[in-house]
This record gives sequence, structure tokens and C-alpha cells, in this order.
Amino acid sequence: MFAVEAKSLKKTFKTKQGEVEAVKDVSFQVKQGEIYGILGPNGAGKSTTILMLTTLLSITSGAGYIQGLDIDKQDKDVRKKIGVALQDTGIDNLLTGRELFYTTARLWGFSKRDAEERATSLLNLVGISEAADRRVKTYSGGMKRRLDLGLSLVHKPEVLFLDEPTTGLDPGSRRVLWDEIKRLRDSGVTILLTTQYLEEADELADRISIIDEGLVVAEGSPDELKAMVGGDVITFTFDKKESLLKAQSLIQSSEIESNDLRITAENGAEKIPLLFSLLTKNNIEVTSVSSNKPTLDDVFLQVTGYRLEGSEETLPEGKERVSI
Amino acid sequence: MGTSPAAPFPLQLGILTKRLLLRVLRRPLAELPNIFISAFFLFVYDGALGGVFGGSAAGTPFDFAKGNFVNFILPVSIISASISGGASGVYLVEDIESGVFKRYQGMPISKWAIILAPIIVGAMRVLIQAGLILTIGMLIGADPATGPLGYFAVLGIAFLWGMGFAGYSVAAGVRSGSSQGAQAASFLFFPALFLAPTFTPRHALKGWLQTASAYNPTTYVIEAMRTIMVDGWVVDVVMKGALVAGCFAFITLAFAVVSARKATEKA
Repeated sequence: MFAVEAKSLKKTFKTKQGEVEAVKDVSFQVKQGEIYGILGPNGAGKSTTILMLTTLLSITSGAGYIQGLDIDKQDKDVRKKIGVALQDTGIDNLLTGRELFYTTARLWGFSKRDAEERATSLLNLVGISEAADRRVKTYSGGMKRRLDLGLSLVHKPEVLFLDEPTTGLDPGSRRVLWDEIKRLRDSGVTILLTTQYLEEADELADRISIIDEGLVVAEGSPDELKAMVGGDVITFTFDKKESLLKAQSLIQSSEIESNDLRITAENGAEKIPLLFSLLTKNNIEVTSVSSNKPTLDDVFLQVTGYRLEGSEETLPEGKERVSI
Repeated sequence: MGTSPAAPFPLQLGILTKRLLLRVLRRPLAELPNIFISAFFLFVYDGALGGVFGGSAAGTPFDFAKGNFVNFILPVSIISASISGGASGVYLVEDIESGVFKRYQGMPISKWAIILAPIIVGAMRVLIQAGLILTIGMLIGADPATGPLGYFAVLGIAFLWGMGFAGYSVAAGVRSGSSQGAQAASFLFFPALFLAPTFTPRHALKGWLQTASAYNPTTYVIEAMRTIMVDGWVVDVVMKGALVAGCFAFITLAFAVVSARKATEKA
């Protein structure tokens, strides 16, 4: 049995301007105990998919199952199995962290004593025990996210849904949250997370679905997805547009992307001298050249035809540009 | 460590009510304006009009306060205090706006508990604020013709009236999805209070206002409270006021339940 199964999920919203298909056709299966990432830009349908799977939004068509339970017909039972930390689920800022855990545990049916114990244990787990008795409004963004994560774990869910868990966090806080998510996976919790950060998907997810315009356009483990690109990515950079165009005309199967020329080839590093010599022989001045293992950024580009916004800001691990 | 799938309904309601009470207690300044305005009305009206319509009006056609103007004007301040029930909608909308509502929707919690908790806290707020105004009234000379029991009767009617505002604010809040919408109860307040026999009995109002006040439910609520304070147990007037307040509460709470039910349905 899969922990999560989406079968041709579709969601259409009626607006004054007409019908909007937020999710057109999304299918995937999440195995027990894995971290499954849904990667896509804003508006791709990630959050809508999560809302349907967590029973917070009705489905237009298709089906979804959590631990074999139908999200449409057994929504109450589904809610007992899942923990949910959505982008816009709120935290009562006037209560303290401890009060929030205690209140949530009591709502889940814990006795007073068990609720106190659970609150203490979760405060430790998410690393905010020192701020336990402070009102949440005094917490930093990172602490609030960890608190949110902790609150979704109160009833020991089998499946955890995290909608863009690190959006807006600084790199340090993001790293802390990643470690906690991995620890949860290692303790047996199945995790389905959405993200628009390539490095987050690469770092955390055992398997990934890339969603674009409400459709799954690629699925697999990060390595499987990168293998789809078909070799290493060699990138030449030029100062002049003429050089770029001339270089493209000389190198078959090359693609222009802004001021770069990209060539996908097996054993890219070995091909660089040959290509470089071809360009210099033709009096083309090269500014820089690099050969990299393909990244999810490259995969995303290949399957959608565009780069994920902001992906260029952070160069993924193992990618470095060589200046000549 | 034992856990059941979810707490039973009464416990859910108790936990959510306690949480909202904590929120109220942690924002004490938010409670002050309404108490202050209600007490202000009491002092100012008594100060401005008590000299004319109080003891010195004895034996004149203006002796409708029967010598004690505080008794006569106190219901106006009680009505003002009971609008504090309108906070119910604000509590609910704050939870909707902050996303706490959505968190609860993702848990196996009864939606009725989510909706009833703010209404209960609104009811407590009405009782406390109206009780405080009654106490201030007592301290400055109120002396109900019905004796101490009269205070409880006035409080009971104020509670029903306040629940009407609670229901209205919840409905307006969830339908508009904004705190401003929930606070719309206060917009009803001035026409409701002043198109009524606020400062004089109905028969002393000018023609147009007399007609308008006949259609204003606040009129019957003020008259019921005033009768208890000034005249004694005039059963038909008291019953009419209690009935109007009860109907107002029933209608708006039903409207609130229908509205909130819609809001909690899956999109």
C-alpha cells in the first residue's frame, strides 16, 4: 500500500472570469517512509494538490488515497493519519509555544498529563524549549516554522504534508529545518513536501514530481531525473553576441540561453579542450567555460522550457564557473 | 502515552473557549473602549439630564424617571455594553485571517466547536461588561423598582440582546471574511440606540421619531429594562422586551450558523 496516491487529480475553480484549471491532471505515488517532493513554480498547482490530499479542498475529478483511505469519502479518517503544515496555516501569536502544543494535544484527545509530556517532548524536538513560555509573537520566522512543524506532529501522524516549509527563511534556518525533516523521515514518517527551491528538492527528496501548469511533467529520483538530461552540461560564456551566435553555428546540438551556449555531452570535461580549440581557431573569444553534472535546474529547463525563478541565484553544489 | 483520535465535543468546545479567553485576557486594553463608552454614557447622560428629569421633575409631566434618573438612563448604557457581544465575529475572523481556522479544519474537530467557542466568549464578555455597568449604576444611585432581582432580569435581557449582536457579527464576519465586516455590528449601534426612546419615553418623542422607534426592536428592549428599573414588574412590557431580544438572538445566531457552515464547507 502506498502512503499517498494521487490518481488523475483535477481541480477547477469557478471565477468571475470563467473557469480556472488549477490542477489539470496530477498522478503520483508516495512510498511508505520516503520524502516525496513536488517541485514547481508559483501557480503550478502544488499547493492546490496538497490541499486536496489533506481534505481541505474538494476534488473536481480523479481520486486520492492516504494509507489506503479515500480522501473524498473518508476525509475524517484521513485527517487522523496526517499532519499538515501549510503555507497559510496560522499560529496563535498571543499564546506561548508550550500552550499551543498543550492545546493542540488536548484537542487530539491527549489527557492533561500526556498533553504536558507531549508538549515538552515536541518543544525539545523542534528546538524551541528555551522559548517555550514566551508568546509566539516574539519568535523569529524560523522558530515559527519549526513550531508549525512541531504542531503538525502532535498526534504522531503517519504522513506529513509540508507546503513550502522553508519559503522566506534564511539559509541557516532552512538548513536546521531540513535536518529536522530528514530526522522525521528516518523515524518512519512519510513526508510529502512542495517546494520551489531546486536545492531543497535535491537535498531532501527521495523522489520528485515536477509540476508545471497543473500537470506532472517529470517524475523520478533526483539522479533519475538528472540522467534524463543525457550527459554533462558544458556552458560557454561570451562577451559579444556575435561570438555567441557564431559559436552556435559551429557546434551542433548547442542551445543559447541568455549569454551562454549550452552543450549536453557525455564526459563533458574531456570534450572542453576540443570545443575550445574549435572556437579559438575561428577567432571566437570565450569568457568562461564550465562542465557540470546536470542539476535539477537543467532538468527543469529541459522538461518545462524555462528556468525556475531565482534558480540562478544559488549555484547548486558541484557547479562552479571557470574563468579563462 | 494515550491518545484517542480526537477529544469529545464538549472538551473540544471547552479547550477552544479557554484558548479564546486567554487571548482576551492578554489584550485587556481591547476590552476597555466599550466599557469606557458605556460608563461614559451613564455619567454624561445622568449629569446632563438628571438635574432636569430627576427629583426636580416630581409633580411635573416630565417625571417619567420617578425621581431617579439613573434608573431611567441605566438601560441605555446596558444596551451599549451588550454590543460587546459583537466581538464574537471578530474572534472568529481573526482566526480565519491568521490561518488558525484552517489549522483546525485540518484536524478532526467539530466545526460547531470552532463556531460556538467565540460565541460563548462573546456571551461572557456581554455578561461581564453589562454586569460592570450595572455595578457602576448601583454605585451612583440606581435602585430598581423590582428590587435586587431586577438587576438579574436586566442582565438576562442584556445577555439575549448581546447574543443577537454576537450572531450578527459572526455572520457578517464569515461572509465578508474580514475583521471590518465583523465590526459592522457597531454600525448598527447608533441607529439602533438613538432611533428609540433613549432619553424620554416614547410618547414624548416627536411624531417621526415615535414612528421610527415603533419599528426599532431596541425600543422594546429599552422599555423592558426601564420598566424593571422604574415601574416594577409590568409583565407584558418585560415579556415583550425579552421576546424581542430573544428573537433577535435566535435569528442572528441562526444566520451565523448558516453563514459559518458555508464558510467551513470545502471549496
